[in-house]
Amino acid sequence: MIKEKTDALTIRDLTLDYGTTRAVNDVNLALKPQELGCLLGPSGCGKSTLLRAIAGFHPLTSGEIWLEGKLLTNPSESVLAELRGVGMMFQDIALFPHLTVEQNIGFGLSDWPKSKAKARIGELLDLISLHNLGTRYPHELSGGQQQRVALARSMAPRPKVLLLDEPFSGLDTELRGRLTSEVRTILKGDGICSLLVTHDRREAFDFADRIAVMDDGHICQFDTSFNLYHEPVSPFVAHFVGPGEMVDAKVNDLRSVKTPFGVLKSDIDLGFEIGSDVRIFLRPDDLIQDDDSEHTATLVGKHFRGAHYLYEVRLDNGVLLGCFGLSQHDHKIGERFGVSLDIQHLVVFPK
Amino acid sequence: MAVTDKVRLVSFRILRPNGLLIATFCAALCVALPLCVVLSFLVTTSSDVWQHLVDTLLLRYISNTLLLSFYVAIGVAFIGVPTAWIIAFYRFPGRNTLSWLLLLPMAYPAYILAYTYTGVLEYAGPVLTWMRAVDMPEWVMSPFLHIRSLAGAALMLSLVLYPYVYLLARAAFLQQSANLMEAGYTLGQNRFSVFRRIVIPMARPAIAAGVLLAIMETVADFGTVQFFGVQTFTTGIMRTYYGFGDTPGAAQLSSLLLGFVAVLIVLERNSRTRIRYYSDQMRRLDKAAQNLNGFRAFGAQLMCFLPILFGFLVPTMLLTSWTLFDAQMQSLWQLAWNSFALAGGSALFIVGIALVIGYANRLFPSHSLSYVTTFIGLGYALPGIVVAIGVLIPFGAFDVWISAQLAPWSVTPQLWISGTLVAVIFAYLVRFLAVANGNIVSGLSRIRPSIDQSGRLLGLSQTGVLTNIHIPLMRGSVLTAILVCFVDILKELPATLILRPFDFNTLAVRAYELAGQERLIDASPASLCIVLVGLIPVILLNRSIGKL
Repeated sequence: MIKEKTDALTIRDLTLDYGTTRAVNDVNLALKPQELGCLLGPSGCGKSTLLRAIAGFHPLTSGEIWLEGKLLTNPSESVLAELRGVGMMFQDIALFPHLTVEQNIGFGLSDWPKSKAKARIGELLDLISLHNLGTRYPHELSGGQQQRVALARSMAPRPKVLLLDEPFSGLDTELRGRLTSEVRTILKGDGICSLLVTHDRREAFDFADRIAVMDDGHICQFDTSFNLYHEPVSPFVAHFVGPGEMVDAKVNDLRSVKTPFGVLKSDIDLGFEIGSDVRIFLRPDDLIQDDDSEHTATLVGKHFRGAHYLYEVRLDNGVLLGCFGLSQHDHKIGERFGVSLDIQHLVVFPK
Repeated sequence: MAVTDKVRLVSFRILRPNGLLIATFCAALCVALPLCVVLSFLVTTSSDVWQHLVDTLLLRYISNTLLLSFYVAIGVAFIGVPTAWIIAFYRFPGRNTLSWLLLLPMAYPAYILAYTYTGVLEYAGPVLTWMRAVDMPEWVMSPFLHIRSLAGAALMLSLVLYPYVYLLARAAFLQQSANLMEAGYTLGQNRFSVFRRIVIPMARPAIAAGVLLAIMETVADFGTVQFFGVQTFTTGIMRTYYGFGDTPGAAQLSSLLLGFVAVLIVLERNSRTRIRYYSDQMRRLDKAAQNLNGFRAFGAQLMCFLPILFGFLVPTMLLTSWTLFDAQMQSLWQLAWNSFALAGGSALFIVGIALVIGYANRLFPSHSLSYVTTFIGLGYALPGIVVAIGVLIPFGAFDVWISAQLAPWSVTPQLWISGTLVAVIFAYLVRFLAVANGNIVSGLSRIRPSIDQSGRLLGLSQTGVLTNIHIPLMRGSVLTAILVCFVDILKELPATLILRPFDFNTLAVRAYELAGQERLIDASPASLCIVLVGLIPVILLNRSIGKL
């Protein structure tokens, strides 16, 4: 039981059903104190159901959930939602429309001494930089301001863990990016262990220390964004956290594969039988434009991204790949140029 | 570039007065006429009768009206909120059926409920006869003996008016996002605290709006308080007008009543604005509804069944049995024909005007026009008896003037318009145009301007848009408007009573007369007719809510 003591939130062998369908299947997950975690997955992968189970709004089929060394729930027993010390920020913000900003933030502090509650509200208003809007009503605030009040409200009673259920999905892209980083800074400052649910990988990268990629009720990989991107454990994770293409290859020896670009070396043992067919996963940033290269490719599509171009190129053997190019160069569709690979870590999957 | 003759240029001109706009402003003037007439008596000199009123009865009218409103407010909240709560938050066998059965008492005008209960509870009636036979103690029988009292009137009104609160509260409960309650739980609040601090405060504007509507109906009620002998503003107006023959006095009382109504309107509008801020359409509560079974399900069923039992089932069974076995009622067919023809004709006329106003607003939107339309909407808040007095005074004056003009030709003076159906229909227009308007406006607002525009872009002319798009889409709203007006007119009592031609009777008036002669059983066929027809819009209402 040592594990539960060092971890803030522990989920063990958890299975959840939504009606007759299995929403979450045998999931294990542990968050360290003050860690910002994220459940990332396509809609319908079970991430929101998992979050609601932690909050106490969804019954367990099997498994258990622990919080700071105490059992929260298993299939037969369950601590009531209001006694868990779990905070939650909702997708639809869910501010109480009949209460002011201050009253909203202070809602969960009803059993605190008056002066302490007042101090906490003031502190949070400062934290979300809305100290002069405390007497406004929610409908008088902008979307981003409402979002921040909702955050402050859920943080106010100092929950042991804070759950965030796609809280930024209703906002426009630019505001979303800004708020995500802002919220991360606020939560880090307060040291609250948190778990965000989202289907947007950029939001996950901006927010989390570690991200659990979920698919069809399973957690595929729980890792830092860097590792998810560069060392995905499955083709699903590889595709979900960023663009890229699969290229056929053959295992050359213990640490290298033969590809259309020649032999590629790996820094660790690949673990595949020599001579077996495999696929390697190439991201656009693995392939660079290189006029000195012996390999050429035809430009078939290009997307201006400001700082760079994202090219789509066709190799001579017909394989389509993404490739980064400098935005100062302006190649025309149909042009041929040299490309070379610049790979730190080889991502190999069995065929 | 030259414009070819195939292209017809449309020039955008400043609007000139046209038929639609003129008709709309005329309709507004019609609504304004009785209002202005009644209010003008506020500033005229007082009559002797008025002084007598102020000295003796006015205080009683005011206190009785306020007390009755207060009791009804408590009554409708007490019935409407718990039933709405149960239907919105729990699942149990029969819930769906009960949820619409709870609307049925709306079919009853309060005065018919009053006649029916008095009929069955009077001294020689079956209930008290049985109670005496089994030697019930005096204190059990006493409330039944005193049904004809202010408290009794409040009970009757509450039983038929609670659906206003039920409907609005239920909608408010259902529209609250389930996330709000869950947010409450994650902030450490238990069930009771979430209910007290979130659910009820958020539904409060809706409950208030429902209670205020019920109070408006209460202060406008004439039939119930008259029959129970409760002296309120409406009975006072009637007594001053008929008893003392003092029209200015009646008008002055009316204007005081209008002041009270104005306060209610302001409060009600205020609540409506807050409802808009408070309603949250994200995730409906239905998913979070809790299952009840066994004893608790029975409790919920009973709570919802009692108002239906006493507000609809018992009186309807009584009326049916009296109509079939006991009532002596001549000329029911004549009465029914009078009522249906008058109500039907007036409803068609009123909805026609409402269509004109609706299209004027759609085709020539402007601020002044929307103010005029809002003003017309106030007509519904005018008590029928106030409208009657406000119509009678100018029409009577007009008759006198016409007769004076015609005197040189030795034409006998007579009631050219004030004692005719024209006056009756005019009063209906003032009072019920708002109802028709509401239905037409909501129908038209469903046809978004982009639909018209795509019709035009796909080659339809303006007439083509009307025949191919609007008429098929508006048919339902127009029929509903006609039906609701029809039934409201059928139930209307005081305006018809005062303004009708000398020997012209309707179902409502005849039921009132027979009840006044203590022939309660004989009044039942007319009452039953009104109630059965009144059921139709209630069922329609339920269907349109079901579609939400």
